[in-house]
Amino acid sequence: MAESAEALVAAAPSAARVGIGGPVGSGKTALIEGLLPLFAARGTSLAIVTNDLVTQEDAERLQRSGLIPPERVVGVEAGACPHTVIREDPTLNIEAADLLEEQLRPLDLILIESGGDNLASTFSLDLVDYWMFVIDVSGGGDIPRKRGPGIVRADLLIVNKSDLAPHVGVDLPLMRKEAEGVRAGRPVLVTNCRTGEGLDRVADHLAHDVLMES
Amino acid sequence: MPKARLSFNRRAAASLASAPHARKLPAMLRLTQILGNATDPDIAERLHALEHDGRVESITLDAADTARKRLRVATDKGTDCAIALARSESLANGAVLLLEEDRAVVVRMRETVWLALSPRDLAAALDLGYFCGNLHWRVRFEGSVLKVALDGPRESYMARLAQHLADGRARLVDEREGG
Repeated sequence: MAESAEALVAAAPSAARVGIGGPVGSGKTALIEGLLPLFAARGTSLAIVTNDLVTQEDAERLQRSGLIPPERVVGVEAGACPHTVIREDPTLNIEAADLLEEQLRPLDLILIESGGDNLASTFSLDLVDYWMFVIDVSGGGDIPRKRGPGIVRADLLIVNKSDLAPHVGVDLPLMRKEAEGVRAGRPVLVTNCRTGEGLDRVADHLAHDVLMES
Repeated sequence: MPKARLSFNRRAAASLASAPHARKLPAMLRLTQILGNATDPDIAERLHALEHDGRVESITLDAADTARKRLRVATDKGTDCAIALARSESLANGAVLLLEEDRAVVVRMRETVWLALSPRDLAAALDLGYFCGNLHWRVRFEGSVLKVALDGPRESYMARLAQHLADGRARLVDEREGG
C-alpha cells in the first residue's frame, strides 16, 4: 500500500522549476520579493533556491523578509562561477530543489535564483522548465544590442528599474524595442520591482506558461 | 511582518482583479503522462488507425526543449496543450501524451542541425576545442571532425567562427546531420 502511494507521488507532475538569472544588482532578489505576495494571493505553494558565491546572503535576505516561511528558502553556495552551477553541472541546485519538493509537497513552483553573472549566463533545462533573465536600465540602454545568450535565449526577459531610465539617459521604449528585436518573438516585460510595477504581468506569464492555470 | 510589506501585499492583491489571467481563455488540454512511444507495437497500431482519420495531432519540439518537464505548446492542429510531467519522465521523439478512442497527441523532435568543422592540424584542433568550450557550445566529436549543435541562428555561429575559417585553422566540412 505504502509503495503504491509512493508510486503515485512519483508519477504526479512535479512542481514547476523556474530560473532567474541576470547581472549583479539587476534586481533578481527584488523580483522574487515582489512576486511572493502575488503568488501568495493566487494560492501558489512556492519555495526558493538562491545561489551565492560563498555566502547565503540572498537566502538570508528572503528568510528575513517576512514574505515566505524561512524553511521554504534554501541557499546554495556555488563556490565558483555562478553559471557553472546552473548550466554545466547543476547537481547542487537539482538536489536543493528535490529536497524542497520532498519536504514541502505539494509544491506548485520552485524559483531558482542564480548568483549575479554576465550576459552569457544561461540555465540548463535539466535544472529548470523555464527561465527568466533580468537586466536593468542603469546597466545601459545598449545591453539588448549586445545580444548575450541570456538576453536572446531566456524564455522571458525582464527590463527592471524602469523609473531610473530618465536619470541614466536611457530611452526605455527604444531599449525595449531593441530587446524584442533580438528575441525572435519571445516576450519582454518592463518592471520596477521596488514599486511592484509590471510584476502582475510577470506572474501572469508564469501562471500561463508553467503553472498551467488557464 | 513590516507594515510596508503588508501595504504592498494589498496593492498587489488589488491589481490581480484586473490582471489578464482573469480573462476567459480557450480550453487547454492537460497532458501529464507519457503513455509510451509511437514505435511501441500496440501503440503504433492504434496510431495508424487514428492517422487514417486525421485524428493524430503532433507537438514539434527542438531537441533541447525535450528536457523541460513543463511546456505550454500548441499542436499542429492548434490545440493548446499544457504539458506537466513528473521529473522522472522525459520527453522524446515519438512520446505519446494522449491516446484516446478519437484522438492522440504525439511529440515530434526537430532534427538538430550541426556545423561540422575540420581543424587544420593538432594545434588548430586544440585551439578550436578551447574556443568552442569557452563559448559553451554543445559539441560532439566524430574522428577528427568537431560538430557544433546549432542552438541559435546559424549566422551567429558563423560570425564567431569567421576568424578560424578565414585563416584556415578550421574548415567547414558538412552542415546537416540528424542528431
